[in-house]
Amino acid sequence: MSDKKGRNLELYFMIGVLVVLLGSAAANYVEIAANPGSIPTENAIPPAGSYVVRVFATQWAWSFEYPNNTTSVGSLTVPVDTNVSLVVTSIAGAQQSAVIHDLLIPQMDIQIYAVPGQNNTVTFEPTVVGSYYFECVEYCGEYHYEMRGYMEVVSR
Amino acid sequence: MSDYVTTLTIYGGIAAVFAIVIFAVYNLLSTRKDIVSEMASKEGYDSDNQFIRDSLLTKPRELTLSIFLNDDAKSIGLRYIVTSILFFFIGGAFGLTMRLSLTGPNLTFLTGDEYNVLISQHAVLMIYMWAVGSALGFGYYLLPSHLKVYRDIRGLFSSIGYWLWLLGGFLVLLAQSSPRWYFYPPLSLQLNPNGGGLYDWLAVLGIEIVLVGLMITCITILLIVMRDRSPEVKRDQFSLFTWSIIFTALMILVSAPPLMVGFTMLFYDFFNPVFFTASSGSVLLFTILFWFWGHPVVYVAIIPYFGLIYEIIPKFTGQKIFSYKSGVFGLGLLLILSEVVWGHHLFNSGLGFAWVLFFSTTSFLVVIPSAVTVFNYIATLWSSDKIRLTTPMLFVINGIVDFIIGGVIGVMQSAYPVNADVHGTYFVTGHFHFIFLGITTGISFAAFYMLFPTISGGRTYNVPLARLHFYFTAVGSLIMSSSWIVGGALGMPRATAGYFSFFLPYQLGSILGGFIVGIGQIFFLWNMAASWLKSPSVDNQNLLESPNPIVTVVPKGEME
Repeated sequence: MSDKKGRNLELYFMIGVLVVLLGSAAANYVEIAANPGSIPTENAIPPAGSYVVRVFATQWAWSFEYPNNTTSVGSLTVPVDTNVSLVVTSIAGAQQSAVIHDLLIPQMDIQIYAVPGQNNTVTFEPTVVGSYYFECVEYCGEYHYEMRGYMEVVSR
Repeated sequence: MSDYVTTLTIYGGIAAVFAIVIFAVYNLLSTRKDIVSEMASKEGYDSDNQFIRDSLLTKPRELTLSIFLNDDAKSIGLRYIVTSILFFFIGGAFGLTMRLSLTGPNLTFLTGDEYNVLISQHAVLMIYMWAVGSALGFGYYLLPSHLKVYRDIRGLFSSIGYWLWLLGGFLVLLAQSSPRWYFYPPLSLQLNPNGGGLYDWLAVLGIEIVLVGLMITCITILLIVMRDRSPEVKRDQFSLFTWSIIFTALMILVSAPPLMVGFTMLFYDFFNPVFFTASSGSVLLFTILFWFWGHPVVYVAIIPYFGLIYEIIPKFTGQKIFSYKSGVFGLGLLLILSEVVWGHHLFNSGLGFAWVLFFSTTSFLVVIPSAVTVFNYIATLWSSDKIRLTTPMLFVINGIVDFIIGGVIGVMQSAYPVNADVHGTYFVTGHFHFIFLGITTGISFAAFYMLFPTISGGRTYNVPLARLHFYFTAVGSLIMSSSWIVGGALGMPRATAGYFSFFLPYQLGSILGGFIVGIGQIFFLWNMAASWLKSPSVDNQNLLESPNPIVTVVPKGEME
């Protein structure tokens, strides 16, 4: 391979890589700009008319407080075709202090940290009735693996 | 009465044997010291150590116990290399134990707490003791030859750096803490087995000591490069490996201080929690300090090894590296960009739109230097007439392939929608195990095999065993990491002692792969033992230090 030919090849390769990267970065921007509610944000106000669930993470359970003031532990029930906002925080449980947790609902593309002393908000819209799994994905101590359960999406 | 006598005899006997051994060692050391002193004063030296360093300068060094007594650069390098391999086996055993405990979706033979201790230790040992230690080892061993140093005067500081690093590693092992390697407060402040572990403060202290050792070592390495190199080695003649070690040292010097400050504050919090508590509203501040170091340190696991690949490829292809300039550019840009992507570990922590956009864009850009580097490798291989598939070369090719897979998997996570799906799952574990096993581990072993004739004093390794080591490591890591990536894409959470039973197939796949890797390492040990028992048969030169390929030092059967 001659030097000039090699340099041209490297140039084309780098242009190709840059095009792919910048294209991906642009796609990423378009996607998150269109749907900023999907990014967990501290103290964000849930959109008007959304079904707001208060989520409390403890060592080692998830508890959910619904708009009608009922609560559930370890399982979440939300209505279909509605904007659901999770307002997530962490409180002390079996231990003296509250620690960081992270709620992941893989099939909803939703992941949100539960940080002590901080309210994070994320909004999503389930469109299919069914049962989905959720789990804690930020390591939080001995029974970290037990902080998992199912989210039921029910018709209104 | 006779019980006491028996007890006394047994313990007295043990104590006596112990005392005899200690005395023998002391006697040996003091005799050695006398002889060295006499020789040194005959040569007109005030300092014994300086005499040893000068008489060993630029000579090939063998792996004997004396490396722990001498403090010349090559001895320090060998110390790091053997110690890091030792820690690699400890950390690997922890990893396999974890795999074995995951054969069922519920707890098997480990409690959740024991599992968490293992996962924390595995990470800390593999990163701080194996990846960093092995990189520093090859740096210390090879740099004096690459730079043709005219003096070796920094043995004291190098030695202090080494012993601090080792002490820190042992303290972490002793602490048996379970905060993972992140040490996120308030979890790491919970001093009980359910939280961070009873002796978590000891682990924090241990890592702080490791970091102090690393700072000393990195400053020493930079001084060796700047002050001690032969004047005839100009800056544009540095080997690419030298550049990679320079960038690694700079990276550690730049990024370790934030975490050292963070750890100091965390240590104070053990006694009086004021800094990282919910009431002070700043729990996340530690995570930022941590990732300011935590992201660059995982690049320490690749940059020096990229440098080694640049050294290994020309030896077995007979081809010069495609572009020296783009090689240096790629490594340097990797150093700079590694410092600006740490936020992508905290996308979901509540930082919001602007932070996510900034860090996801910079995370896309970090691919540019990697692409430059990989292009450089492939172009060199492509334009060479003949590639000799020796064991080190197989490790290199496998490393490049693994890096491409792991890198593509990694950059996908820069996109927030993907990240929200897979952050905290085995997807991430698969991503970095591709790179840690392919690049860090594979290239370390490749370089070790190439150094083998020198450090064993003219012996050659057994080729079939080395091949088995390679194939088991490569195939095992492919199976293991692929299983994790598929499972992780479905949301299989990492760092869990139990899991939803529908994740079982992916866990079993990774257990299979993990054990294949483990068996491969047994071939390595077997090879080392068998080869060391043979008598020296070749020149004690090695390919990494000599400017010209010396075919005689490669075992028969490696080059057809």
